[in-house]
Amino acid sequence: MTFSNSSVEPDTLPAVEEARLTSVSPRLAPCVALQQMWRWLLLTTLALLFPVTNATLAVWQPWFAAGVGGLGAMMIVAGWLEAKRRAYGVREHDVIYHRGLLIHRTQVLPLVRLQHVETLSSPIERAFGLVRLACFTAGGRGADLLLEGLPARRAEAVKHYLLSRLDSDGDGQPPPSPPPSASG
Amino acid sequence: MKHQHASPSLEHWQRLSPWAVGLLLVTSAISIVRQHLPLVFGAGAGLVFIERIGLYEALLGGVSLLLAAILLSLQYYRRFRFRLDGDVLVIQKGLFEHREFKVAARHVQHIAIHQPVYMRLFGVVQWQVETLAGEASRIELPGISRDLAEALGQRLGSSAPRDPKASEWHESSAKGGQIRFTITPWALTLHGLTSRSIYVIAAMLSPLIRPVERWAHEHFPGSGAREWLIDSPFMTLGLTVVALVAILATLAVFASWWRFHGYELRDDGERHVQVSGLLQRQEQALSLRRLQVVEWAQTGLGRVLGRGYLVCRQFGAPGGGEAEEGRRFLVPGLTRAQGGDLIRTLWPGISMSNALSGVSVIYRRVLMLRISLALVAGLVGLSWLAGEGWPSPPAWGWGVLAVILLLVVWILAYLRWKALGWSREGRYMRVRQGLWGHRTSIFPLHNVISVSIQQSWLQRRRGLATLHLFLANGRLTLPFLDKRVAVELADRLLASVEAPLSVE
Repeated sequence: MTFSNSSVEPDTLPAVEEARLTSVSPRLAPCVALQQMWRWLLLTTLALLFPVTNATLAVWQPWFAAGVGGLGAMMIVAGWLEAKRRAYGVREHDVIYHRGLLIHRTQVLPLVRLQHVETLSSPIERAFGLVRLACFTAGGRGADLLLEGLPARRAEAVKHYLLSRLDSDGDGQPPPSPPPSASG
Repeated sequence: MKHQHASPSLEHWQRLSPWAVGLLLVTSAISIVRQHLPLVFGAGAGLVFIERIGLYEALLGGVSLLLAAILLSLQYYRRFRFRLDGDVLVIQKGLFEHREFKVAARHVQHIAIHQPVYMRLFGVVQWQVETLAGEASRIELPGISRDLAEALGQRLGSSAPRDPKASEWHESSAKGGQIRFTITPWALTLHGLTSRSIYVIAAMLSPLIRPVERWAHEHFPGSGAREWLIDSPFMTLGLTVVALVAILATLAVFASWWRFHGYELRDDGERHVQVSGLLQRQEQALSLRRLQVVEWAQTGLGRVLGRGYLVCRQFGAPGGGEAEEGRRFLVPGLTRAQGGDLIRTLWPGISMSNALSGVSVIYRRVLMLRISLALVAGLVGLSWLAGEGWPSPPAWGWGVLAVILLLVVWILAYLRWKALGWSREGRYMRVRQGLWGHRTSIFPLHNVISVSIQQSWLQRRRGLATLHLFLANGRLTLPFLDKRVAVELADRLLASVEAPLSVE
């Protein structure tokens, strides 16, 4: 066997940065805010009602609870803004998910690595008509890529496309085209 | 020769060896005792429990438990059967719930054979198979004959086309192949000293500190030696540290001999096979098609003594401690040259001669900030816990302490930053991480599972980015790369995965 090692021009490679991404559903922002709100409401209530025996600390308890509540309010706003910025893309050979407000993250999962696709939704997500799409690869202990904030019909379309890619890759058939509004 | 015997017909239902019932009991008992050792002996809980219920009652309970275990083992043995259906291993088992498992040969990534000393007498082994789903998918045949185990390994361990009539196909290749590496006693000893076993042993023995301390107080209440030790605290501290290190080092060397005595790595063409173990012989087969990442690991002492070890990673083997690595395909006690040779064997075409590129110096400053914050938080926590007992040195004392801490922080940040490096060489990539010790992951570009590019607010201002590479065994992070470099590397890695033959 001969070993070849020819150079490839970086400019000729498909660029992740140039991929066209589609924003997730605008309903994700209120959905995330609501989920965060329940969480922080619980924490604030706990901070307020937790039995404190030390008299000095007990004086500060309402202020501490107010601080937790204030932090919660900030996190809810941040969650809202962050959810509005999320975007995804399905290219011929990979799935891209972009998220983050202060820290931007772009994850790319090649479809050749895909083993299994799942759709999930909590009661709150169902109330907003949203679905999560979990993509699993071999050996992973959890979802390797989680697309949040997809409308139910869009999630089904993407799921069917990914499953058809799994089948076609297994059969050695040429890949089908990505769903129109999700392609990059 | 043993392997010239006719192999069992694997197409018919096979049962575990009759000895498996007894061996199952022994194995389970050892496993339970090992897992609950700290609970039983750690704080003397076992003795207190026996004192509380009485020795006779405890013995009666033990005998009842033993009888129940024997009955359950017999039932387990009766229900357990397996056979090969073409290239698929079918296993039926279950005490109260009947379950059937099927493992296709094309999904097998790892096969291991263990033979504890008490199994050698009966010619019985424990056989394990793991699929691409990783450790969670591990299935074990807890007591079968060695011939059967080897026949199963050969049938499932290779996907090469073969004559369907050839039930004795494995015999031609069994025990063949080229010896790649054998360990010497000196290398074995050095591996014990330079591996991470010493920390694992220290963690395992930590529950015994309190009982030993109590025992020492009871047995040396007023001896002259104790008074002398109290009078010389620095001497006491020094002697204690030396004694502890000596004990731990001895135990680490012993563990190394126990696990890797007689280590031999054999190149069997499609796979590499390693055999080792002082009393418990262990045989592991690594399918080269399933090999994802090779790690060259050196502890701090290992770097000084020029020794390290290789860990061959497959799917579903996230990085862990020494206990985790004990179950992985590990080549111990290698010199740098031996390690390099083996890596070049496993990844043909790699030269490892490229210098590693570092990451931005800003990462070092970020590390300094992170470590300083952690240190300050730790000191504040300690002072709060100590309360009035917190020492109050003069102002210059605080200054000296601050300078020392800053120096420590700078050294730690510098070492971690300096250790971090990466290099792309043809179709392979190397990533090194560490502090005192170094761990270098070497993998083909097309073995990457997914890629993530991350940019914080600071990184966006400085034109930097962090690249996360998700591999079969976990995540590798290259922080604070030039953004152009990070994006270009991500594009190249993705192109290698998506069109592995066109991008090299």
